[in-house]
Amino acid sequence: MKCTDVSPNLAAFVVGGMEPEEAAEVQRHIASCSSCRNELEELEKVNRALQAAPPLEDPPSHLKEEILSQVRAEELSSSDEAAGPSGGYRSTYLRFVIARVAAAALVAMAAIGIVFGLREEPPVATIQLVPTPEEAAGLEEYWGVAELHQLPLGNQQVELKLNNFDEPEPNSYYELWFVSGEKRISAGSFTSVGKGETRVLLTVAPEARNCRTLLITEERADNDPAPSESVALIGEMP
Amino acid sequence: MAIAEGDILESEKRLRSLRSVMSQRADELSDEQLMSRLGGPGVETAISALYDRYSRTVFGVGLKILGDRSSAEELVQDVFLKVWRSASTFDPSRGSFSTWLYRVTRSCALDLYRKRAHKVHPVPEGESYLATARDSSAGPQEVVDESWLSWRVSRALEVLDAPHREVIELAYFGGLSQREISARTGVPIGTVKTRTARAFKRLRQELAVGDTPQEASR
Repeated sequence: MKCTDVSPNLAAFVVGGMEPEEAAEVQRHIASCSSCRNELEELEKVNRALQAAPPLEDPPSHLKEEILSQVRAEELSSSDEAAGPSGGYRSTYLRFVIARVAAAALVAMAAIGIVFGLREEPPVATIQLVPTPEEAAGLEEYWGVAELHQLPLGNQQVELKLNNFDEPEPNSYYELWFVSGEKRISAGSFTSVGKGETRVLLTVAPEARNCRTLLITEERADNDPAPSESVALIGEMP
Repeated sequence: MAIAEGDILESEKRLRSLRSVMSQRADELSDEQLMSRLGGPGVETAISALYDRYSRTVFGVGLKILGDRSSAEELVQDVFLKVWRSASTFDPSRGSFSTWLYRVTRSCALDLYRKRAHKVHPVPEGESYLATARDSSAGPQEVVDESWLSWRVSRALEVLDAPHREVIELAYFGGLSQREISARTGVPIGTVKTRTARAFKRLRQELAVGDTPQEASR
């Protein structure tokens, strides 16, 4: 056997998977060939490393979602701690996350038909939301309605019905604010899913009860927790 | 004002398309770029991409060091949560992400090993080989130190393309001969040998570079 015959088979020889007669031929050759012997030594190192290799096995598929859920939960927790005007990045980011979750929930709700007949009870208040003149320019049938519903434990829920509410800019989201004088209380964030009618459910904080004005602003996912100047829709309690 | 079914389908299409673009972009990013996104809006995409790249290695090393599946699963969770929580401690100028992740894995594994040392664990049937590995005379530190080689081999195997990795997996983890691999895969025996030789060549290159155990443990 020549080196050119042996060399390509050395790895198979090292693995130990050759037929006995083939292995014997390789053995005879390397006994008299220092070049192939040197190559064999290098391959033996790889062989030893492979024998130390851990099993090549994917972890159970549920682990990834559990990790991502934990990340979301900790984001929520850290946001609660950082609540307020100086909430910082985590708080702003949280709203971005919630916006994405809200968008996904919206699609899910629509898919299971919840949006068609959400609840039997009539809303405790219905607020017409209208665009600012600059927002309305060039847009047709662009409007919104906010319906406030009483929940069993004293909380309120606001159901937004938005028509032709376009998707926000990249890295942006919409946020609903309850406004009273200088006070602005966020009811949560969402992203629109395009033209036509969009419905969103958000929970209203108890301290927002006395606010008479509703604002929907377009927010950028930056470090500023304050409402942006970009007002998409505005409405007053009747 | 009812939502038309077509609108919902269109919305779902948009969301799917958006997710696909985000996922594709994450695939194109380096480990270090993904790490830099862990403090921002792309955190889920980034950690998801890092998980896809490294969870098999972490899980495999966990099985090797800790010896049972539930501990290895706990290790995977601990490691990726620590990656997220400690992202700010990663300094790319001091070493690769892979080496940093190894240190995180090693540290979490040692914690689990020590925690478990205080408990009595029955060995489930079929896991006796793992129990034997745990019962070796090596202490936890030694066992974990050996993990650097496991880590590097696992990472090296990840860079092989599927046909080359397959022959190595069947040979080392399946215990098959070259001829048996040929029969199993339907690939001619000559091709099996060629793939084995190429896989070895690539692994040799991959294993020749990288930190020493001492450097990796710093």
